[in-house]
Amino acid sequence: MPSEPTTLLQGTLDLLILKSLATGERHGLGISRRVQQITRGTFVVKPGSLFPALHRMEEEGWISSFWGESENNRRAKYYRLTSAGRKQFEVKARRWGRISLAIAQALETS
Amino acid sequence: MSLFTRTRSFLRNLFASRRVEAEIEAEVRSHLEMLVDENLRTGMAPEEARRAARIELGGIEQVKEQVRQQRLGQWLHSVISDIRFGARQLRKNPGTTAIMVFTLALAIGATTAIFSVVYGVLLRPLPYAEPDRIMAIFEINSGGTWSRLADPNFNDFRTQSHSFQAVAKYADMTASVSGASQPTRTTVAAVSPEFLRVFRVHPVIGRDFSAEDARKGAAPVILVSHGYWRQFLGSAQDLSEAHLKIDNAVFSVVGVLPAGFQFPPDVGLWLPADLDGENASRTSHNYSAVGRLRDGVTVEEAGRDISAIARRIHDTSSEQSDYLLKDGAVVPLQDSVTGKARPPLLILLGAVGFLLLVACANVANLLLAQASVRERELAVRSALGATRRRLIRQFLTEAFLLSLVGGGFGVLGATMGTGGLLGLAPEDLPRLDSVSINVPVLLFALLLSTAVAAGLGAFTAARATSGDPSRGLGEGGRGQAGSQSSQRVGRLIVAAQIAITLVLLVGAGLLGRSLMKVLEVNPGFRVDEIVTMDVSLPWMSDPKAKTGQAIFFANLIDRLKQLPGARRVGATSGLPMDGGLPDGMFLLMTQDEVPATPEGFAPLLQQKERIGNADFCVATDGFFQALAIPLIRGRLFDERDSADSPHVAVISESLARQRWPGQDPIGHTLEFGNMDGDLRLLTVVGIVGDIHEYGLDAPPRPTVYVSLFQRPRSAITVTILSNADTRLVTSEARRILQELDPEIPARFRTFSHIYSASLGSRRFHLILIGFFGIAALLLATAGVFGVMAYSVSRRTREIGVRVALGAGSREVLGMILGQGLRTVFVGIAIGLAGALALTRAVESLLFGVTATDPLTFAGVVLLLVAAALLACFIPARRATRVDPMVALRCE
Repeated sequence: MPSEPTTLLQGTLDLLILKSLATGERHGLGISRRVQQITRGTFVVKPGSLFPALHRMEEEGWISSFWGESENNRRAKYYRLTSAGRKQFEVKARRWGRISLAIAQALETS
Repeated sequence: MSLFTRTRSFLRNLFASRRVEAEIEAEVRSHLEMLVDENLRTGMAPEEARRAARIELGGIEQVKEQVRQQRLGQWLHSVISDIRFGARQLRKNPGTTAIMVFTLALAIGATTAIFSVVYGVLLRPLPYAEPDRIMAIFEINSGGTWSRLADPNFNDFRTQSHSFQAVAKYADMTASVSGASQPTRTTVAAVSPEFLRVFRVHPVIGRDFSAEDARKGAAPVILVSHGYWRQFLGSAQDLSEAHLKIDNAVFSVVGVLPAGFQFPPDVGLWLPADLDGENASRTSHNYSAVGRLRDGVTVEEAGRDISAIARRIHDTSSEQSDYLLKDGAVVPLQDSVTGKARPPLLILLGAVGFLLLVACANVANLLLAQASVRERELAVRSALGATRRRLIRQFLTEAFLLSLVGGGFGVLGATMGTGGLLGLAPEDLPRLDSVSINVPVLLFALLLSTAVAAGLGAFTAARATSGDPSRGLGEGGRGQAGSQSSQRVGRLIVAAQIAITLVLLVGAGLLGRSLMKVLEVNPGFRVDEIVTMDVSLPWMSDPKAKTGQAIFFANLIDRLKQLPGARRVGATSGLPMDGGLPDGMFLLMTQDEVPATPEGFAPLLQQKERIGNADFCVATDGFFQALAIPLIRGRLFDERDSADSPHVAVISESLARQRWPGQDPIGHTLEFGNMDGDLRLLTVVGIVGDIHEYGLDAPPRPTVYVSLFQRPRSAITVTILSNADTRLVTSEARRILQELDPEIPARFRTFSHIYSASLGSRRFHLILIGFFGIAALLLATAGVFGVMAYSVSRRTREIGVRVALGAGSREVLGMILGQGLRTVFVGIAIGLAGALALTRAVESLLFGVTATDPLTFAGVVLLLVAAALLACFIPARRATRVDPMVALRCE
């Protein structure tokens, strides 16, 4: 399995998942589609990256899960942010802001 | 909070793994279904929708595996599942697994057993406080020989050196001790006052020696070992009534030393050395010396310190002779106790290490063969998402399982085998009582098993996971392509095995040939049907009392002649192969040349033509007769040689040849007073055959024998030649001695036991290295067989084609044998080079053969080729029976 994009996006992936959950609880496919949508298709999160990340974050206590019904009446596992996850999101978002600003500035300098 | 969550997750993953698994399965499946739903909504056909969903998902199993890898505690979890899987894998091939476990158990067990001896004898610290600070101190004479210390030299070392907190001298002897519950022959050490301070040992009952105890006129006192106290003093807490009689002096027991303190070895009693009666000569080396280093002083500094004092003594002493010290040396006591045992033990450890390598090679080859069968399994696993690292870990786990089980059995075997090993060990191996399977030895076994596991696991993993998984699947698991290189590796391993085995066998062969050569040596005496009896009377200096002791011995010998079956009875001051005789310089002179004063001897000692060097042995005629030492010329001692008649000597053949070449020594006179203080001349009356006094592998020493009845001494060994039962002879002899004097204990041995003990270390080394060699040979033969059988089974199709194209069974046989022998010859060539380089290490253990003995080398090569041929022949014959039709069809 190609593991490259995952490692490349390790921090980013968490951030995007947290962000997609910030607006409400979602199941795996929902998160995947939401990420695709908010990044305008730049990032397509494959299940091979998505599920490991979800499980890791759940173990970290940032998100919690429950079984619910999907829009098509299928049983699906839903995820939502915990308060620790909310804090984590703010920390990560701030850090990402600093990094992207720094990199953008670095690239602009001639 | 986070820690709590994490711990809960960890425990859940570990203990509720089935539920966690089910949940992830359900989650991924529902994800897939939702993908299908999504695709259906875009108008895809159901089949197409499902296919696209699967492609997007990337495989349920892979996703699950990736989630598993992310989980907390997944490491532990996967280790457990690796172990489960590994155990199942090993159980699937019970035969191979049993062979591998047995091979590893044999090798690890043997290595552990040998290490337990090495550890107990060489490495285990001496059981004293800060044992590495206790040093042994030696004189070195002009010939480079290390010796004990002369009293004035010891005193100079003690008072002038600044390196030691305490220095003490000691000498031990065997004495008859009475006064306790029964008379015993006990090792008694005479020690100077600081002795116990050197070891930092304090009596558990009573007191240590004081400086006054060593002075003339002090009340005689003695310390007893814990063992002696328990056995012969009834563990009495009150020592005021405890007295022991040694050499007619009565000693008060003033203290009991702690259990486990036993230095010098086997000692039971300690008494103060007589510091007022010291020998003023700087060349009479009567005492060993030990010292405890001052804090901060290194061994080297102490050595330089002692060395400087020794050289100062050398430069200023009036006693300039070969026996005067020229230098001094300081070595850790432990090294000095075990010094001689070190090289052979390290050789044994090396040899068993070789056996271990051969065994590991066998197991590696078996694992390799299994791995190539498992190529398909590996391919499936990596297709299902297992990373290469995960697969390598699987192999490591299996190797660990194997090694730990093998090591466990090995330690079990070593525990039982160490007893046998100690029974086999030569009696002169020091510190055997400290050999056991203890924590450090177990730790060693564990480390060893771990190292073996790491080596084997890394090897198989590297071999097995180097291929491309798709090939394994594509080939339908035949693994034909990958096996080519793994067979080459297998053959390399076998060649290495052969090489190592050759080295071991050459070593064993050289030792075996040495033992045979040693046994061919005629000792110069008979060995069987002789019972020996050690008797010590109190030491006397008064000549009259000494004569009385001689009469006692004459009586004893006469009475012993009545023993059942007794044919000859004699006595000697030193049995052959039992510790040796004193040696010294004698002077050839006639009665007219005897100087009037002792000072007159000095100029004579400068005349080279007068001096001879020989061992000095006190004996009776019966000694020569009992041991059948042949009389070559002249006569033995007889009734004429009473205490008052002229003193006579019998000399050994080699002394006659050396000192009187081309002459008849009989009738010549010599003076050998420095051995027993008696300056009367000895007239040579007879020449007897040489005997190998110091062992069959040591040349006979020139020896002067004097008569016990002219030169009496207090300690003798009686030799009784009798064809009656040994136990009967012993009990009767004991009764006779008791009738003569109930206070004198005796020690009985058979001469054949003493003789056989003198070959003990040779036998020990041969048996062990021989065992390692044979075990290695069997393993290597099995290795050759395994590789060839595997190769033939892999080449069935090729052989079928050859046969179909007209190859006869002779050609097929030749081809397979040739292939096998090529491997064997490569191994032999490497082994020969290795053996030539390595057998020098055993040179010191050899006798009568060189380390490059061509006969041994040729024999071993022949043996190996024969064994390898046999191992190749069975698979080769199987190859000739390949039916081309079946072979072609089955592929």
